[in-house]
Amino acid sequence: MKSQHNEHKQPSGTCITHEHRFHRRAFVGGMLTGGAASLTLPGVSFAGEVPAASSLKQQQKRVLFLWLAGGSSQFEMWDPKPGRETGGPFRDIGTAVSGYRVCELMPKLATRMNKIAVVRSLNTKISEHFQAADLVSTGWPKEPALEHPEIGVVLAKELALQDSLLPDYVSLFTTSEGRRRPSPGFLSRRHAPLLLEGSLQPSNIELPAGLSAEAHARREALRSSLSQQFAQQRAGNDLISGYNEAYARVRGLMRSDELFNLENEPTKNRDRYGRTPFGQHCLLARRLLEAGVPVVKVARGFWDSHHDNFESHRELVPDFDNVLSVLLDDLDERGLLASTLVIVLSEFGRTPKINQDVGRDHYADAWSCAFAGCGIRGGAIHGKTNEDGTAVVEGEANAADVAATIYQAAGIDPLKHYQVGQRPVPLAKEDAQPIRAVLS
Amino acid sequence: MNAKPIDPKLARLIHTAEAPGILYGSCLDPATGHVYGGGIDGHIYRLPARPTEPLPEKAPAEKLWRNHENYIASLAWIDGVIVSASYDHRLIWTRAENGQKQREVHAHEGWVRKVVVVPHWNRLATIGDDMLMKVWDAKTGEAIHSCAGHLRLTPEGFLNTVYGLAASSDGKYVATADRTGVVFVWDAETWQQVATFRAETFYTYDAEKRARSIGGIRGLAFSPDGTRLALGGIGPVSNVDGFVGPCRVEVWDWQNTKRTFVGSDKHQAILNHIAFVNGGELLVGAGGGDGGPIIGCWDMKTESPVAKAKPKSHIQHFAFDDAAQQLLAVGHAGFQVWAFTPAPAKSSEEAKKS
Repeated sequence: MKSQHNEHKQPSGTCITHEHRFHRRAFVGGMLTGGAASLTLPGVSFAGEVPAASSLKQQQKRVLFLWLAGGSSQFEMWDPKPGRETGGPFRDIGTAVSGYRVCELMPKLATRMNKIAVVRSLNTKISEHFQAADLVSTGWPKEPALEHPEIGVVLAKELALQDSLLPDYVSLFTTSEGRRRPSPGFLSRRHAPLLLEGSLQPSNIELPAGLSAEAHARREALRSSLSQQFAQQRAGNDLISGYNEAYARVRGLMRSDELFNLENEPTKNRDRYGRTPFGQHCLLARRLLEAGVPVVKVARGFWDSHHDNFESHRELVPDFDNVLSVLLDDLDERGLLASTLVIVLSEFGRTPKINQDVGRDHYADAWSCAFAGCGIRGGAIHGKTNEDGTAVVEGEANAADVAATIYQAAGIDPLKHYQVGQRPVPLAKEDAQPIRAVLS
Repeated sequence: MNAKPIDPKLARLIHTAEAPGILYGSCLDPATGHVYGGGIDGHIYRLPARPTEPLPEKAPAEKLWRNHENYIASLAWIDGVIVSASYDHRLIWTRAENGQKQREVHAHEGWVRKVVVVPHWNRLATIGDDMLMKVWDAKTGEAIHSCAGHLRLTPEGFLNTVYGLAASSDGKYVATADRTGVVFVWDAETWQQVATFRAETFYTYDAEKRARSIGGIRGLAFSPDGTRLALGGIGPVSNVDGFVGPCRVEVWDWQNTKRTFVGSDKHQAILNHIAFVNGGELLVGAGGGDGGPIIGCWDMKTESPVAKAKPKSHIQHFAFDDAAQQLLAVGHAGFQVWAFTPAPAKSSEEAKKS
């Protein structure tokens, strides 16, 4: 049975009095800088919606997106074609899954393939960065009249913990090329992520100079008291709950600055992940997931190897191999892997043809993605490409199918819909088919 | 040394010979002028580049043997034998006249990137992805020495690579150079390091936009007198998705670790191979990139750019045939033969057509 939930963007200013806006600005204005400055505070409700507790939320499912921005090469990772003209110089190696071989650049993941499911048969058709990223990130083709939310935003809404003081969604995209700020689309901006762009620490969460912790606590007590009075006068107004939640989230964020501080992590853990940006970002992601942030996205830019593809992948893939291996082990050791869906995705793959500058260009007709953890059947290898990797020959899947698979793996009905005006909009496109072979 | 110096301004492409994919390495039989190439498909190809009759504009290259299971990265010529270095980790000695394999050795733990002859010592030197420079008996294939020094990781923690290898013409020194711009010079008698310096401009790590790197010293050559070392590659890259930076050469007085010359060009490309010609008075580099393929020439006397030409496709390596005064290049789609003589006058019929 389809579930239904009404949510849509509130017109600017609706339900928010001037007085409230003033207080919001006074308290939280400028709390977050960078991209977040253009959003309302992530995780903060001004629309009056309080997420209902559900069994899903009680289960504390988590999702980690590893976004290989720019388009990683399926040939140098999940779908090698050694010995073919298109195959490039890397050899393939056996894995923990009988009959499945990966590129030699991934020896650590090869031994962990029983934890990972791979889809080798994506055909997403669009090979321009931004359009492709839009498609793959939302699972929907562009529509002029409706902006679809990014999958991570939907998951943040669906998996949000009601009483959490942490953000529902944190997105790390510290490099600038191809940077995307996950769009809430037709959903409320309260589900938009906390963006970590310039650094791994949220900006401006420390107390202003000259304001002591005691003074800050006194201010908070006053605000709380006024808020209570206001609530008593306007009993039943959901907006009050939204405000209180907002302030609670802000306080939570201010108190959680240590969570974002990797200096608190033992040196051996930091070294285990590797001191590369991707390694440290994934370590932070694990900290956030463990602390209760339900959705985290780590973007690793930038894989767009138009020239010198093999040298680029020789640089990038071993780092990816180490980091994802350590991450899966770490999540497993902490008892988190079974409840954490890990997704490895790009906007597209790379061309079979090796160009004259030893590069591979954009290719969306036959490429790969991978999953692990929550809801995933480890060791499942779905789909096939032909000998040269130029076309899918078995198990073709599109971007909508990937989205449906993600929702299904996270325990969310892909056909659940939101009511947007007069239109019921399902989470995944109506004709999407979850890739059942990779689901547990 | 050339009997007569070439004029780089007269550079013109006179012949192409097609081979599939990309040829990475080449070597010249100095007696016949035959040039051999090897690359992506592991085959050796041959082009007789000193024919008695004028070469046609275009022809397929002659496909010879295949002994390797992966890309051929580099070739060296020793007395009628071709030594091929491959990403299959092996060095293979093959007699050129009949394609008979003489011996093979497992040379490196990783791709073998280059092989060169160390003159006068009956030695070969190789570099590989184990970050070692190894020395071999050129005739028997016996391992003589292994030189370590290049770091396994870049300063940012990614895999480093040794790309550049050259031996001085007197055989006294061998130089190696890596992705991060670090150069070592080794004494060919003791195999001790005798100089090291870093030409960091050849390496671009873009932390802000893309969190990865590109570049490295790809071409390396001693001057004929052995006192200078030329480096080839690419300058600061604005977009590390590709070779989007000025092609670059540097010349160093390596004994004093002092850079004496920088040659750069706005043409956006990486120079994969460089060589001194005209007795050391001309430095030639070839490669390709975002601006298209290029052959660039710098006058070492005046220390200035003197000419550049646009090859048919991205060049990976070349040999200079002193006897024919031809530059024999390999790269994408096969061989290119470049002459440095005035174009022959067109017949009246050809002139009418043109």
